Amino acid sequence: MSTIIEAIGMTLSYSNGQNDIIQNVNFKINKGDFVFITGPSGSGKSTLLKSLYGQIKPSSGSLSVGGIEMSSVKKSKLQELRTHLGIVFQDYKLISEWTVSKNVVLPLVIAGYAIDVQKSQAQRLLGHVKLSDYGDRYPLELSGGEQQRVGIARALARNPLVVLADEPTGNLDEYSSNVIWDLMENACEQLGTTVLVVTHKIPTIFSLRYRHFIIENKGLYEVN
Amino acid sequence: MKSIKNHLMFILPLMTILLGIQFYLVFDRMTSGYEERLRDGYSILVVANKPVGINEFKALNAKISQSSKIERNEILQEISIGQDPADTKAILDALPNFYTLKLASYLDTSSLEKVKKDLEKSAKIKRVETFGSDYSSNYKLFSFIKFTLKAFIFFMATVSLFLIIKQMEVWGYIHKERMQVMEIFGAPMILKTGILFRVAIVDALIATLLIVIFFVILGSVWAQNSGVEVVVQNHMNIFHNNDILILLFSALIIVVTSVLIVVFGLNGGEE
Ligand SMILES: Nc1ncnc2c1ncn2[C@@H]1O[C@H](COP(=O)(O)OP(=O)(O)OP(=O)(O)O)[C@@H](O)[C@H]1O
Ligand SMILES: [Mg+2]
Repeated sequence: MSTIIEAIGMTLSYSNGQNDIIQNVNFKINKGDFVFITGPSGSGKSTLLKSLYGQIKPSSGSLSVGGIEMSSVKKSKLQELRTHLGIVFQDYKLISEWTVSKNVVLPLVIAGYAIDVQKSQAQRLLGHVKLSDYGDRYPLELSGGEQQRVGIARALARNPLVVLADEPTGNLDEYSSNVIWDLMENACEQLGTTVLVVTHKIPTIFSLRYRHFIIENKGLYEVN
Repeated sequence: MKSIKNHLMFILPLMTILLGIQFYLVFDRMTSGYEERLRDGYSILVVANKPVGINEFKALNAKISQSSKIERNEILQEISIGQDPADTKAILDALPNFYTLKLASYLDTSSLEKVKKDLEKSAKIKRVETFGSDYSSNYKLFSFIKFTLKAFIFFMATVSLFLIIKQMEVWGYIHKERMQVMEIFGAPMILKTGILFRVAIVDALIATLLIVIFFVILGSVWAQNSGVEVVVQNHMNIFHNNDILILLFSALIIVVTSVLIVVFGLNGGEE
Protein backbone atom coordinates (compact mmCIF):
# COMPACT_ATOMS: atom_id res chain seq x y z
CA MET A 1 0.00 0.00 0.00
CA SER A 2 1.46 3.31 -0.98
CA THR A 3 1.09 6.36 1.20
CA ILE A 4 -0.70 9.30 -0.39
CA ILE A 5 -1.04 11.68 2.57
CA GLU A 6 1.29 11.87 5.53
CA ALA A 7 1.50 14.36 8.39
CA ILE A 8 4.41 14.38 10.82
CA GLY A 9 4.21 16.64 13.88
CA MET A 10 1.92 18.93 11.95
CA THR A 11 0.47 22.06 13.55
CA LEU A 12 -2.17 24.22 11.89
CA SER A 13 -3.06 27.77 12.82
CA TYR A 14 -4.46 30.90 11.21
CA SER A 15 -2.17 33.85 10.82
CA ASN A 16 -4.78 36.15 12.37
CA GLY A 17 -5.61 33.82 15.28
CA GLN A 18 -3.39 33.39 18.32
CA ASN A 19 -4.17 29.72 19.00
CA ASP A 20 -3.19 26.58 17.15
CA ILE A 21 -6.23 24.81 15.74
CA ILE A 22 -4.51 21.45 15.38
CA GLN A 23 -1.33 20.69 17.26
CA ASN A 24 1.47 18.29 16.53
CA VAL A 25 -0.53 15.52 14.84
CA ASN A 26 0.73 12.46 12.97
CA PHE A 27 -1.23 10.38 10.51
CA LYS A 28 -0.80 8.42 7.34
CA ILE A 29 -3.38 7.72 4.66
CA ASN A 30 -2.88 5.14 1.96
CA LYS A 31 -4.02 5.21 -1.62
CA GLY A 32 -7.58 3.93 -1.84
CA ASP A 33 -8.42 4.48 1.83
CA PHE A 34 -11.89 5.65 2.72
CA VAL A 35 -11.63 7.92 5.76
CA PHE A 36 -14.32 9.53 7.87
CA ILE A 37 -13.33 12.49 10.02
CA THR A 38 -15.63 13.54 12.84
CA GLY A 39 -15.34 15.96 15.71
CA PRO A 40 -17.17 18.76 17.48
CA SER A 41 -18.07 21.95 15.68
CA GLY A 42 -15.11 24.30 15.57
CA SER A 43 -12.62 21.52 16.28
CA GLY A 44 -10.73 22.09 13.04
CA LYS A 45 -12.10 19.58 10.54
CA SER A 46 -12.48 22.11 7.73
CA THR A 47 -9.11 23.54 8.67
CA LEU A 48 -7.50 20.13 8.25
CA LEU A 49 -9.03 19.80 4.77
CA LYS A 50 -7.80 23.29 3.88
CA SER A 51 -4.28 22.20 4.69
CA LEU A 52 -4.68 19.18 2.41
CA TYR A 53 -5.55 21.32 -0.62
CA GLY A 54 -2.98 23.94 0.25
CA GLN A 55 -5.25 26.78 1.29
CA ILE A 56 -3.28 27.03 4.53
CA LYS A 57 0.25 25.84 5.21
CA PRO A 58 1.33 23.91 8.31
CA SER A 59 2.81 26.36 10.78
CA SER A 60 5.19 23.63 11.84
CA GLY A 61 5.88 19.97 11.10
CA SER A 62 5.43 18.44 7.71
CA LEU A 63 2.52 17.44 5.53
CA SER A 64 2.91 15.62 2.28
CA VAL A 65 0.11 15.14 -0.24
CA GLY A 66 0.77 13.00 -3.29
CA GLY A 67 4.48 13.25 -2.56
CA ILE A 68 4.43 17.05 -2.41
CA GLU A 69 5.55 18.81 0.76
CA MET A 70 2.77 21.27 1.49
CA SER A 71 4.71 23.50 3.86
CA SER A 72 7.04 24.61 1.09
CA VAL A 73 5.06 23.91 -2.08
CA LYS A 74 5.54 26.26 -5.04
CA LYS A 75 2.50 27.90 -6.60
CA SER A 76 2.83 26.07 -9.90
CA LYS A 77 3.22 22.70 -8.18
CA LEU A 78 0.20 23.38 -5.98
CA GLN A 79 -1.85 24.33 -9.01
CA GLU A 80 -0.97 21.03 -10.67
CA LEU A 81 -1.72 19.05 -7.48
CA ARG A 82 -5.12 20.68 -7.16
CA THR A 83 -6.20 19.39 -10.55
CA HIS A 84 -5.96 15.89 -9.05
CA LEU A 85 -8.12 16.72 -6.04
CA GLY A 86 -11.90 16.72 -5.87
CA ILE A 87 -13.04 19.14 -3.21
CA VAL A 88 -16.51 19.44 -1.75
CA PHE A 89 -16.97 22.56 0.35
CA GLN A 90 -19.14 22.88 3.40
CA ASP A 91 -20.57 26.08 1.84
CA TYR A 92 -20.69 24.59 -1.71
CA LYS A 93 -18.77 27.43 -3.40
CA LEU A 94 -20.56 27.21 -6.72
CA ILE A 95 -19.94 30.00 -9.23
CA SER A 96 -23.19 31.92 -9.22
CA GLU A 97 -22.82 33.46 -12.69
CA TRP A 98 -22.45 30.02 -14.27
CA THR A 99 -25.17 27.51 -15.05
CA VAL A 100 -25.29 24.29 -13.08
CA SER A 101 -23.94 22.43 -16.13
CA LYS A 102 -20.92 24.66 -16.40
CA ASN A 103 -20.31 24.54 -12.66
CA VAL A 104 -20.31 20.80 -12.63
CA VAL A 105 -17.63 20.54 -15.31
CA LEU A 106 -15.32 23.22 -13.86
CA PRO A 107 -12.48 20.67 -13.52
CA LEU A 108 -12.92 19.79 -17.21
CA VAL A 109 -12.96 23.48 -18.18
CA ILE A 110 -9.68 23.86 -16.31
CA ALA A 111 -8.24 20.77 -17.98
CA GLY A 112 -9.16 22.30 -21.34
CA TYR A 113 -11.67 19.72 -22.57
CA ALA A 114 -13.67 20.57 -25.68
CA ILE A 115 -17.10 22.11 -25.22
CA ASP A 116 -18.99 19.06 -26.49
CA VAL A 117 -17.14 16.79 -24.08
CA GLN A 118 -17.99 19.24 -21.30
CA LYS A 119 -21.65 19.13 -22.30
CA SER A 120 -21.96 15.36 -22.41
CA GLN A 121 -20.02 14.94 -19.16
CA ALA A 122 -22.24 17.55 -17.48
CA GLN A 123 -25.27 15.44 -18.37
CA ARG A 124 -23.66 12.27 -17.07
CA LEU A 125 -22.51 13.86 -13.80
CA LEU A 126 -25.83 15.56 -13.10
CA GLY A 127 -27.51 12.20 -13.71
CA HIS A 128 -25.37 10.67 -10.97
CA VAL A 129 -26.64 13.17 -8.42
CA LYS A 130 -30.22 13.03 -9.72
CA LEU A 131 -30.21 16.55 -11.14
CA SER A 132 -30.48 15.79 -14.85
CA ASP A 133 -33.12 18.44 -15.45
CA TYR A 134 -31.33 21.23 -13.65
CA GLY A 135 -28.40 21.85 -16.00
CA ASP A 136 -29.65 25.16 -17.36
CA ARG A 137 -30.48 26.68 -14.01
CA TYR A 138 -28.23 28.90 -11.97
CA PRO A 139 -27.00 27.81 -8.52
CA LEU A 140 -29.14 30.33 -6.66
CA GLU A 141 -32.22 28.80 -8.25
CA LEU A 142 -31.50 25.50 -6.46
CA SER A 143 -32.22 24.41 -2.90
CA GLY A 144 -29.33 24.03 -0.47
CA GLY A 145 -29.31 20.26 -0.84
CA GLU A 146 -29.41 20.51 -4.63
CA GLN A 147 -26.47 22.92 -4.62
CA GLN A 148 -24.61 20.54 -2.39
CA ARG A 149 -25.13 17.72 -4.88
CA VAL A 150 -23.86 19.91 -7.72
CA GLY A 151 -20.76 20.52 -5.60
CA ILE A 152 -20.27 16.78 -5.16
CA ALA A 153 -20.75 16.05 -8.84
CA ARG A 154 -18.18 18.77 -9.61
CA ALA A 155 -15.67 17.21 -7.22
CA LEU A 156 -15.98 13.85 -8.96
CA ALA A 157 -15.98 15.27 -12.51
CA ARG A 158 -12.43 14.42 -13.46
CA ASN A 159 -11.96 11.20 -11.47
CA PRO A 160 -9.67 12.81 -8.92
CA LEU A 161 -6.97 10.87 -7.08
CA VAL A 162 -8.21 12.20 -3.76
CA VAL A 163 -11.66 13.40 -2.77
CA LEU A 164 -11.79 15.88 0.11
CA ALA A 165 -15.41 16.34 1.15
CA ASP A 166 -16.55 18.68 3.90
CA GLU A 167 -19.98 17.66 5.25
CA PRO A 168 -21.14 16.48 1.83
CA THR A 169 -24.47 15.24 3.18
CA GLY A 170 -24.98 18.03 5.71
CA ASN A 171 -28.06 19.32 3.93
CA LEU A 172 -29.41 16.10 2.50
CA ASP A 173 -32.20 13.75 3.51
CA GLU A 174 -31.53 10.07 3.99
CA TYR A 175 -32.35 9.14 0.41
CA SER A 176 -30.05 11.76 -1.13
CA SER A 177 -27.35 11.01 1.41
CA ASN A 178 -27.35 7.40 0.39
CA VAL A 179 -27.05 8.38 -3.27
CA ILE A 180 -23.94 10.36 -2.34
CA TRP A 181 -22.41 7.61 -0.24
CA ASP A 182 -22.95 5.18 -3.09
CA LEU A 183 -21.19 7.52 -5.48
CA MET A 184 -18.20 7.86 -3.19
CA GLU A 185 -18.04 4.16 -2.44
CA ASN A 186 -18.05 3.46 -6.17
CA ALA A 187 -15.27 5.92 -6.83
CA CYS A 188 -13.19 4.35 -4.07
CA GLU A 189 -13.92 0.79 -5.06
CA GLN A 190 -13.77 1.02 -8.83
CA LEU A 191 -11.23 3.76 -9.44
CA GLY A 192 -9.14 3.40 -6.29
CA THR A 193 -9.90 6.99 -5.33
CA THR A 194 -8.78 7.99 -1.86
CA VAL A 195 -11.71 9.58 -0.06
CA LEU A 196 -11.63 11.80 3.04
CA VAL A 197 -15.03 12.82 4.30
CA VAL A 198 -15.75 15.19 7.15
CA THR A 199 -19.15 14.36 8.60
CA HIS A 200 -21.24 14.62 11.71
CA LYS A 201 -22.83 11.26 11.11
CA ILE A 202 -21.17 8.16 9.71
CA PRO A 203 -23.74 6.33 7.55
CA THR A 204 -25.25 3.25 9.13
CA ILE A 205 -25.34 1.29 5.90
CA PHE A 206 -21.84 1.34 4.43
CA SER A 207 -20.42 -1.60 2.56
CA LEU A 208 -16.74 -0.60 2.34
CA ARG A 209 -14.04 -0.96 4.94
CA TYR A 210 -13.32 2.49 6.26
CA ARG A 211 -11.14 4.31 8.74
CA HIS A 212 -12.39 6.82 11.28
CA PHE A 213 -10.47 9.78 12.66
CA ILE A 214 -11.71 12.04 15.42
CA ILE A 215 -10.45 15.58 15.87
CA GLU A 216 -10.70 16.74 19.45
CA ASN A 217 -8.76 19.13 21.69
CA LYS A 218 -6.36 19.99 18.86
CA GLY A 219 -5.42 16.34 18.42
CA LEU A 220 -6.31 13.71 15.84
CA TYR A 221 -7.09 10.14 16.91
CA GLU A 222 -7.95 7.08 14.92
CA VAL A 223 -10.70 4.84 16.29
CA ASN A 224 -11.52 1.30 15.25
CA MET B 1 -27.68 48.93 -15.00
CA LYS B 2 -25.04 48.53 -12.35
CA SER B 3 -22.81 46.74 -14.80
CA ILE B 4 -23.17 49.54 -17.37
CA LYS B 5 -22.13 51.98 -14.68
CA ASN B 6 -19.10 49.83 -13.90
CA HIS B 7 -18.13 49.81 -17.57
CA LEU B 8 -18.51 53.58 -17.86
CA MET B 9 -16.40 54.09 -14.77
CA PHE B 10 -13.70 52.18 -16.59
CA ILE B 11 -14.15 53.51 -20.11
CA LEU B 12 -14.40 57.22 -19.26
CA PRO B 13 -11.03 57.57 -17.52
CA LEU B 14 -9.47 55.45 -20.23
CA MET B 15 -10.94 57.81 -22.83
CA THR B 16 -9.51 60.75 -20.90
CA ILE B 17 -6.04 59.29 -21.22
CA LEU B 18 -6.50 58.49 -24.90
CA LEU B 19 -7.89 61.97 -25.51
CA GLY B 20 -4.78 63.37 -23.85
CA ILE B 21 -2.50 61.21 -25.96
CA GLN B 22 -4.30 62.19 -29.16
CA PHE B 23 -4.31 65.89 -28.33
CA TYR B 24 -0.64 65.63 -27.63
CA LEU B 25 -0.01 63.97 -31.00
CA VAL B 26 -2.05 66.62 -32.81
CA PHE B 27 -0.37 69.45 -31.01
CA ASP B 28 3.04 67.99 -31.63
CA ARG B 29 2.39 67.67 -35.35
CA MET B 30 0.99 71.17 -35.65
CA THR B 31 3.84 72.73 -33.75
CA SER B 32 6.71 70.84 -35.28
CA GLY B 33 6.16 72.59 -38.62
CA TYR B 34 5.96 75.90 -36.86
CA GLU B 35 9.12 75.24 -34.91
CA GLU B 36 10.97 74.34 -38.09
CA ARG B 37 10.03 77.60 -39.68
CA LEU B 38 11.14 79.50 -36.62
CA ARG B 39 14.46 77.74 -36.61
CA ASP B 40 15.08 78.36 -40.32
CA GLY B 41 14.06 81.97 -40.05
CA TYR B 42 16.87 82.50 -37.63
CA SER B 43 20.41 83.23 -38.64
CA ILE B 44 23.74 84.11 -37.12
CA LEU B 45 26.30 86.10 -39.01
CA VAL B 46 29.95 85.65 -38.07
CA VAL B 47 32.85 87.85 -39.09
CA ALA B 48 36.22 86.07 -38.77
CA ASN B 49 39.83 87.11 -39.42
CA LYS B 50 40.78 83.70 -40.75
CA PRO B 51 38.79 80.92 -42.43
CA VAL B 52 36.80 78.80 -39.95
CA GLY B 53 35.59 75.28 -40.82
CA ILE B 54 32.26 73.79 -39.78
CA ASN B 55 33.97 71.46 -37.32
CA GLU B 56 35.62 74.40 -35.63
CA PHE B 57 32.21 76.05 -35.27
CA LYS B 58 30.73 72.86 -33.88
CA ALA B 59 33.59 72.56 -31.42
CA LEU B 60 32.78 76.04 -30.14
CA ASN B 61 29.11 75.22 -29.67
CA ALA B 62 27.44 71.89 -30.39
CA LYS B 63 24.10 73.51 -31.27
CA ILE B 64 25.51 74.78 -34.56
CA SER B 65 24.56 72.52 -37.41
CA GLN B 66 25.59 74.27 -40.63
CA SER B 67 27.80 77.07 -41.77
CA SER B 68 28.00 78.69 -45.15
CA LYS B 69 30.59 81.12 -46.32
CA ILE B 70 29.52 84.31 -47.96
CA GLU B 71 31.67 84.69 -51.06
CA ARG B 72 33.83 87.78 -50.73
CA ASN B 73 34.32 88.11 -54.51
CA GLU B 74 30.68 88.76 -55.01
CA ILE B 75 30.65 91.50 -52.42
CA LEU B 76 33.79 92.98 -53.85
CA GLN B 77 32.61 93.02 -57.42
CA GLU B 78 29.75 95.24 -56.40
CA ILE B 79 31.90 97.81 -54.69
CA SER B 80 35.01 97.73 -56.90
CA ILE B 81 33.52 98.59 -60.25
CA GLY B 82 35.90 100.88 -62.12
CA GLN B 83 38.77 100.36 -59.75
CA ASP B 84 42.26 99.16 -60.35
CA PRO B 85 42.45 95.34 -60.17
CA ALA B 86 45.53 95.67 -57.92
CA ASP B 87 43.51 97.71 -55.43
CA THR B 88 40.76 95.18 -55.63
CA LYS B 89 43.23 92.49 -54.70
CA ALA B 90 44.40 94.52 -51.73
CA ILE B 91 40.85 95.06 -50.56
CA LEU B 92 40.14 91.37 -50.96
CA ASP B 93 43.10 90.49 -48.74
CA ALA B 94 42.03 92.98 -46.15
CA LEU B 95 38.42 91.79 -46.05
CA PRO B 96 37.53 89.37 -43.27
CA ASN B 97 35.61 86.08 -43.78
CA PHE B 98 31.82 86.12 -43.48
CA TYR B 99 29.74 83.12 -42.44
CA THR B 100 26.10 82.47 -41.81
CA LEU B 101 25.34 79.73 -39.32
CA LYS B 102 22.30 77.50 -38.86
CA LEU B 103 21.23 75.87 -35.63
CA ALA B 104 20.24 72.27 -35.00
CA SER B 105 17.16 73.24 -33.05
CA TYR B 106 15.22 76.27 -32.07
CA LEU B 107 16.81 77.99 -29.07
CA ASP B 108 15.48 80.41 -26.54
CA THR B 109 17.16 83.77 -26.03
CA SER B 110 19.49 82.75 -23.24
CA SER B 111 20.80 79.69 -25.10
CA LEU B 112 21.28 81.93 -28.07
CA GLU B 113 23.29 84.39 -26.00
CA LYS B 114 25.47 81.48 -24.97
CA VAL B 115 26.09 80.46 -28.57
CA LYS B 116 27.10 84.04 -29.28
CA LYS B 117 29.49 84.12 -26.31
CA ASP B 118 31.02 80.78 -27.21
CA LEU B 119 31.70 81.99 -30.72
CA GLU B 120 33.27 85.20 -29.49
CA LYS B 121 35.74 83.22 -27.38
CA SER B 122 37.55 82.14 -30.51
CA ALA B 123 40.52 84.32 -31.44
CA LYS B 124 39.68 84.01 -35.12
CA ILE B 125 36.22 85.47 -34.71
CA LYS B 126 35.89 89.21 -34.63
CA ARG B 127 32.19 89.74 -34.47
CA VAL B 128 28.96 87.86 -34.13
CA GLU B 129 25.57 89.23 -35.15
CA THR B 130 22.31 87.44 -34.53
CA PHE B 131 19.20 88.25 -36.48
CA GLY B 132 16.17 87.21 -34.53
CA SER B 133 12.80 87.18 -36.13
CA ASP B 134 9.65 88.52 -34.61
CA TYR B 135 8.62 84.90 -34.10
CA SER B 136 10.75 84.83 -31.01
CA SER B 137 8.21 86.29 -28.60
CA ASN B 138 5.49 84.17 -30.15
CA TYR B 139 7.64 81.17 -29.60
CA LYS B 140 7.93 81.82 -25.87
CA LEU B 141 4.19 81.98 -25.43
CA PHE B 142 3.98 78.95 -27.59
CA SER B 143 6.42 76.87 -25.50
CA PHE B 144 4.58 77.95 -22.40
CA ILE B 145 1.28 76.72 -23.77
CA LYS B 146 2.94 73.54 -24.85
CA PHE B 147 4.38 72.93 -21.41
CA THR B 148 1.06 73.68 -19.73
CA LEU B 149 -0.70 71.29 -22.05
CA LYS B 150 1.81 68.55 -21.37
CA ALA B 151 1.55 69.06 -17.63
CA PHE B 152 -2.22 69.02 -17.82
CA ILE B 153 -2.27 65.85 -19.93
CA PHE B 154 0.14 64.21 -17.55
CA PHE B 155 -1.94 65.17 -14.53
CA MET B 156 -5.20 64.01 -16.08
CA ALA B 157 -3.58 60.77 -17.17
CA THR B 158 -2.30 60.06 -13.68
CA VAL B 159 -5.67 60.72 -12.08
CA SER B 160 -7.40 58.63 -14.72
CA LEU B 161 -4.97 55.79 -14.23
CA PHE B 162 -5.86 55.67 -10.55
CA LEU B 163 -9.55 55.64 -11.42
CA ILE B 164 -8.97 52.81 -13.87
CA ILE B 165 -7.12 50.73 -11.30
CA LYS B 166 -9.82 51.46 -8.70
CA GLN B 167 -12.53 50.34 -11.08
CA MET B 168 -10.54 47.24 -11.96
CA GLU B 169 -10.39 46.49 -8.23
CA VAL B 170 -14.18 46.64 -8.20
CA TRP B 171 -14.26 44.11 -11.05
CA GLY B 172 -11.77 42.06 -9.10
CA TYR B 173 -14.04 42.01 -6.04
CA ILE B 174 -17.10 41.21 -8.12
CA HIS B 175 -15.31 38.17 -9.52
CA LYS B 176 -13.22 37.36 -6.48
CA GLU B 177 -15.31 34.39 -5.40
CA ARG B 178 -15.24 32.83 -8.85
CA MET B 179 -11.49 33.34 -9.14
CA GLN B 180 -10.90 31.76 -5.74
CA VAL B 181 -13.00 28.72 -6.58
CA MET B 182 -11.17 28.33 -9.87
CA GLU B 183 -7.85 28.67 -8.09
CA ILE B 184 -8.73 25.93 -5.60
CA PHE B 185 -9.54 23.64 -8.52
CA GLY B 186 -6.12 24.35 -9.97
CA ALA B 187 -6.99 26.80 -12.74
CA PRO B 188 -3.95 28.47 -14.28
CA MET B 189 -3.61 32.21 -13.79
CA ILE B 190 -4.73 33.07 -17.29
CA LEU B 191 -7.97 31.09 -17.03
CA LYS B 192 -8.69 32.32 -13.54
CA THR B 193 -8.21 35.97 -14.43
CA GLY B 194 -9.53 35.57 -17.97
CA ILE B 195 -12.76 37.30 -17.05
CA LEU B 196 -10.90 40.43 -15.93
CA PHE B 197 -8.78 40.50 -19.07
CA ARG B 198 -11.89 40.06 -21.18
CA VAL B 199 -13.69 42.94 -19.50
CA ALA B 200 -10.60 45.12 -19.72
CA ILE B 201 -9.79 44.40 -23.34
CA VAL B 202 -13.37 44.87 -24.52
CA ASP B 203 -13.54 48.21 -22.71
CA ALA B 204 -10.16 49.22 -24.14
CA LEU B 205 -11.44 48.51 -27.66
CA ILE B 206 -14.62 50.50 -27.03
CA ALA B 207 -12.70 53.46 -25.62
CA THR B 208 -10.24 53.45 -28.53
CA LEU B 209 -13.05 53.23 -31.07
CA LEU B 210 -14.92 56.16 -29.53
CA ILE B 211 -11.81 58.33 -29.51
CA VAL B 212 -10.94 57.40 -33.09
CA ILE B 213 -14.46 58.23 -34.27
CA PHE B 214 -14.33 61.52 -32.40
CA PHE B 215 -11.06 62.60 -33.96
CA VAL B 216 -11.92 61.41 -37.43
CA ILE B 217 -15.06 63.52 -37.32
CA LEU B 218 -13.11 66.38 -35.78
CA GLY B 219 -10.49 66.22 -38.54
CA SER B 220 -12.71 65.64 -41.53
CA VAL B 221 -15.89 67.50 -40.78
CA TRP B 222 -15.48 70.02 -38.05
CA ALA B 223 -11.95 71.26 -38.72
CA GLN B 224 -12.51 72.02 -42.38
CA ASN B 225 -15.67 73.95 -41.70
CA SER B 226 -14.55 75.61 -38.54
CA GLY B 227 -13.51 78.83 -40.18
CA VAL B 228 -10.51 79.07 -37.88
CA GLU B 229 -7.52 79.49 -40.15
CA VAL B 230 -4.99 77.53 -38.11
CA VAL B 231 -7.41 74.66 -37.68
CA VAL B 232 -8.39 74.57 -41.35
CA GLN B 233 -4.75 74.57 -42.39
CA ASN B 234 -3.99 71.76 -39.98
CA HIS B 235 -7.04 69.58 -40.48
CA MET B 236 -4.89 66.80 -41.93
CA ASN B 237 -2.85 66.82 -38.74
CA ILE B 238 -5.82 66.02 -36.54
CA PHE B 239 -5.96 62.34 -37.34
CA HIS B 240 -3.38 60.10 -38.98
CA ASN B 241 -4.17 56.43 -39.54
CA ASN B 242 -1.17 55.44 -37.45
CA ASP B 243 -2.80 57.07 -34.46
CA ILE B 244 -5.19 54.11 -34.25
CA LEU B 245 -2.25 51.86 -33.46
CA ILE B 246 -0.79 54.26 -30.94
CA LEU B 247 -4.13 54.66 -29.17
CA LEU B 248 -4.98 50.97 -29.23
CA PHE B 249 -1.56 49.99 -28.01
CA SER B 250 -1.67 52.56 -25.21
CA ALA B 251 -5.17 51.49 -24.16
CA LEU B 252 -4.18 47.83 -24.06
CA ILE B 253 -1.02 48.52 -22.09
CA ILE B 254 -3.00 50.57 -19.57
CA VAL B 255 -5.78 48.02 -19.05
CA VAL B 256 -3.49 45.01 -18.95
CA THR B 257 -1.33 46.79 -16.38
CA SER B 258 -4.39 47.58 -14.30
CA VAL B 259 -5.53 43.95 -14.44
CA LEU B 260 -2.09 42.71 -13.42
CA ILE B 261 -1.90 45.18 -10.53
CA VAL B 262 -5.30 44.04 -9.26
CA VAL B 263 -4.62 40.33 -9.80
CA PHE B 264 -1.37 40.43 -7.89
CA GLY B 265 -3.01 42.63 -5.25
CA LEU B 266 -5.81 40.11 -4.70
CA ASN B 267 -3.42 37.20 -4.61
CA GLY B 268 -1.61 38.84 -1.73
CA GLY B 269 -4.83 38.61 0.26
CA GLU B 270 -4.91 34.82 0.39
CA GLU B 271 -5.08 33.09 3.79
N1 LIG C 1 -10.16 31.99 8.32
C1 LIG C 1 -10.07 31.80 9.65
N2 LIG C 1 -9.36 32.66 10.39
C2 LIG C 1 -9.23 32.49 11.72
N3 LIG C 1 -9.79 31.49 12.39
C3 LIG C 1 -10.53 30.60 11.71
C4 LIG C 1 -10.70 30.71 10.30
N4 LIG C 1 -11.48 29.70 9.88
C5 LIG C 1 -11.78 28.99 10.98
N5 LIG C 1 -11.22 29.52 12.07
C6 LIG C 1 -11.30 29.00 13.44
O1 LIG C 1 -10.67 27.73 13.47
C7 LIG C 1 -11.38 26.84 14.28
C8 LIG C 1 -11.69 25.59 13.50
O2 LIG C 1 -12.55 25.93 12.43
P1 LIG C 1 -13.05 24.86 11.39
O3 LIG C 1 -13.83 25.57 10.36
O4 LIG C 1 -11.91 24.05 10.95
O5 LIG C 1 -14.02 23.98 12.31
P2 LIG C 1 -14.86 22.71 11.90
O6 LIG C 1 -14.35 21.58 12.69
O7 LIG C 1 -14.89 22.56 10.44
O8 LIG C 1 -16.30 23.13 12.45
P3 LIG C 1 -17.75 22.82 11.81
O9 LIG C 1 -18.09 21.42 12.17
O10 LIG C 1 -18.63 23.78 12.53
O11 LIG C 1 -17.67 23.06 10.37
C9 LIG C 1 -12.61 27.58 14.75
O12 LIG C 1 -12.39 27.99 16.07
C10 LIG C 1 -12.72 28.75 13.85
O13 LIG C 1 -13.24 29.85 14.55
MG1 LIG D 1 -16.25 22.85 8.98
